[in-house]
Amino acid sequence: MDAPLDFEFEDPLLNSPVIVKKSKKVIGLDDLLTDHYQEKSKVIERESKRAKAKKKYDSDEDDFDKEALLSKQINECHNQMQEMSGEAEIATWGVHVFGTQKPLPVLTLPELGSCSLLRSFMSSELNSLVELTTEKVETFLEGLLVNGWLSKLVNTCSYMEKSIAKWTFYLMLYSSKEKLRASACDFWCNILFPRVKTEKLPIRIEWFPSYCELRSALETYGFLFNYLSRTESIINNSGVRGPPKNIRAWIKFVAACCCVRNKRPVFSTSEAEELVEVAVFLSSDRQLEGLLVLLDEFVQSVISYFTDEEWNISCEKIARSISCRRVDVHSLLISFACRSPRDLNCLQTVECISGVSTRGNHLRSAISYQILLNCFDNKASNEEEILSFLISINVKDRSCDLFQMYIYLVLTENWLLSNPMFELKPVIYEMWGVYLRNCSCQITSTDMRPYASKGSLKFEPAVQVLSIQNTISF
Amino acid sequence: MKRAGIEENLLAILDSVSDSKHTPDANDDRLAFLEAVRSACIVNENPPTSKMREAVFQILRVGKSLELITESFRLLNELDKRFPRVYLSEKEASESSHLVVVEEGWSPFLFNLEKASREREAGGRSISGPLDSSGFLQLMQELAEVANERKLQALEIKSLRNMLLFKYLVNALEGDFLPRNRVYEETMNWTHLRESLLNMLLSTRRINYKGLMKDCLSIMCGLFGVSAGISDDLESPDNAASKPSHNGNTASALALFELGNNACIALQKLLIMIMDLDMSRKKADMQGYTTRADGVRTPLMEIILDELSYDTDMLSPFLKNDLQVFNEPKWKLEIILQYFSKYTTRLSTRTRRSNGPTEDATTFSGVLNCFSNITNTRSISKKIKADVVQVLLAHAFQAHLSSSSQQDADGISASKDEGRSTSLVEICENIISAFSNLRRTDAKMEILPIGKEALFTAATILSTETGAHV
Repeated sequence: MDAPLDFEFEDPLLNSPVIVKKSKKVIGLDDLLTDHYQEKSKVIERESKRAKAKKKYDSDEDDFDKEALLSKQINECHNQMQEMSGEAEIATWGVHVFGTQKPLPVLTLPELGSCSLLRSFMSSELNSLVELTTEKVETFLEGLLVNGWLSKLVNTCSYMEKSIAKWTFYLMLYSSKEKLRASACDFWCNILFPRVKTEKLPIRIEWFPSYCELRSALETYGFLFNYLSRTESIINNSGVRGPPKNIRAWIKFVAACCCVRNKRPVFSTSEAEELVEVAVFLSSDRQLEGLLVLLDEFVQSVISYFTDEEWNISCEKIARSISCRRVDVHSLLISFACRSPRDLNCLQTVECISGVSTRGNHLRSAISYQILLNCFDNKASNEEEILSFLISINVKDRSCDLFQMYIYLVLTENWLLSNPMFELKPVIYEMWGVYLRNCSCQITSTDMRPYASKGSLKFEPAVQVLSIQNTISF
Repeated sequence: MKRAGIEENLLAILDSVSDSKHTPDANDDRLAFLEAVRSACIVNENPPTSKMREAVFQILRVGKSLELITESFRLLNELDKRFPRVYLSEKEASESSHLVVVEEGWSPFLFNLEKASREREAGGRSISGPLDSSGFLQLMQELAEVANERKLQALEIKSLRNMLLFKYLVNALEGDFLPRNRVYEETMNWTHLRESLLNMLLSTRRINYKGLMKDCLSIMCGLFGVSAGISDDLESPDNAASKPSHNGNTASALALFELGNNACIALQKLLIMIMDLDMSRKKADMQGYTTRADGVRTPLMEIILDELSYDTDMLSPFLKNDLQVFNEPKWKLEIILQYFSKYTTRLSTRTRRSNGPTEDATTFSGVLNCFSNITNTRSISKKIKADVVQVLLAHAFQAHLSSSSQQDADGISASKDEGRSTSLVEICENIISAFSNLRRTDAKMEILPIGKEALFTAATILSTETGAHV
């Protein structure tokens, strides 16, 4: 790229508002990119100036027209620049895992009136003080729930009848009032985590929700279990897009259920596997961004639901399933939304699983590995092949997509560093070292391509961590 | 050296980011930084340096996207958990636990006046570095504004950020206070608590402590209403129709329930910690371990009792909402008993002569005894409004129910009150007779919903308990 000529900096004409706006945006490597555009705009302006100079001999009356032309050109140039910078803009993660929400079922529980808790009370003489009638039953129960009496009652009597269980469960999942669903959720969590630590739940519960009910609630919320049906819901824009606010209670409740397996196993292994996938996909939707901490706990509790033997098999199964679904989403996005294959979602899929636990790390590593395998489209089928493929990429080549490289880099890092056992062959780590060195030597700090800086920032700590762990010596 | 190297590399990611810059690029760099710290410190277990923590904290303080503030919040908590500044050393069971304080460890608070002012001069910015007490006060005032205005303002990123920041600060105070208080209880060495962040925060003369506590109380009921109230507003059909595809709105509304609720819980935690500190302080005062340098501070309990009796015409907001939010049974019961004892002391001494020593307003059954006959009930009703009595009795009953199940759980049967404690059946009977007596003193008195609920609960427990015994 040509360096700007000295006089250009002095030329006041070049201080177009466009440039001023741009120049205060970024420093550092991104700055160079901006400079690049700046220069381009300067070239265009210079052309236009030249054109103007050529016409200098024409009558001055044209000046207005020329100015109009110039400003038009500047505007065009501005737009062009915006387009260009738009291309280079960092893609962000985020998929819609919720499509059109189905109408939430109206809560009518005819049994509620016949609930024995209230029946016996209404006939007692004390009712002269409380004045409870059949019509007021629901309001009264809501009060009992919101003010915390219901859980005291159930705890003290160690018994919950079916109508109450169902009523509170449906309130939690489908009520449109935050107070009610939050109280109902607290109520259930309270029952699942009683203060008394016993081997069984100390409370006799006449009715307990099954996975089926929880799953169908998610469906009602619009959750896209079958990702191939996503296109319909994206195109069909009528209706309300899910999730409703009840998703928060749903997550809390399912997480609580996962923690009490020894007292009451609610899910089968395959159901729990599906729940892990659900948890990961929920973490990829920006609508749930604010629930990050909750989702994090959710992922942790679901993965700790498994026994050790189950986990070793299930972890691989989950990883394969997630990476396949991810590819489906990916290709759909390309074909229907015409997006370039730049996709940070796969990184989010990995990074939303916090590495605080061994199992979390295990899953992170497994998913990264499976996604890498998928990325190479069966060109690589094992660890060595992936790494030799990575090493073979010539990052100096200008056509090499550094964004893609960045994704490979992060995935590889997660695959190898999160692997809790370090059980892979030493040759793997040596190859990784070679790959990292390739990247660090070949991507210079003056590289203009987008993601050059991000890549280099990413691998420096990785190199350091790697060398600290002495798994490889540089 | 390795740590320094990592620090330098990680902080380099933020090189082009200044606090006031919130372009997508800058935010992306911040995220990259958070992720890198996580991978270096949590995944690979290198302890973070103070500068690294500071930078993460700074992102929480200035972040303008939901992703940034929640990520930095999560990371800070994980770091504190993994690398605490104050902890109890693990020793053999016979020895008492030993407090370990990492002196050079980073804390989100800075109470050293000189240091703070020096840093401020150097930094020249108000929103940078650890918080001092006035920074904390300001945060509380901003929270109070949101809590009391009950507007959609709560959806703004600033409010959400304040809630998260507050929750983190309470977590930090707790992480510092709990181990110190435990060691204090074992060793009676007040110095541990004097140097606790919480004590330093409260005893500084630069803030109006009483005002701060009153803010806390009003925030607690406000926030509770905000998180529940706004949600329903947002879901009303008008709102849904006007913004059908407003994803950002859904995200922040969802976040608001979560964060508002969390902030509420954090606030309760803070209040309980302060009351625990007050109690330890009282012990230290009595044993003469405190000095004049410790200053004087009104115990929180007294401030709460003042608030309770503040508005006599209508139910004070504390009675109406805070008691509902504040559900830690031990302190809840304590507050109510102390309140009653203010009005019943003379009464109970009078009755003590006639009825024997069981009449004592310092236990729940003692309070219930004051309502056991119409004469006493009438004389109390003259001092405390019947509405207030109803609310207090109902909440005390609730706290009693929770704490009795807690005691069952802990297996503590030899607690101090055991001798005086009454069986659950008796308590339920007494609750019913208390309400009946209240009604008898004033036939027009309306029983509040919460009173009805208490009555219902008492009656139901009574029928199952006695049914089981027969």
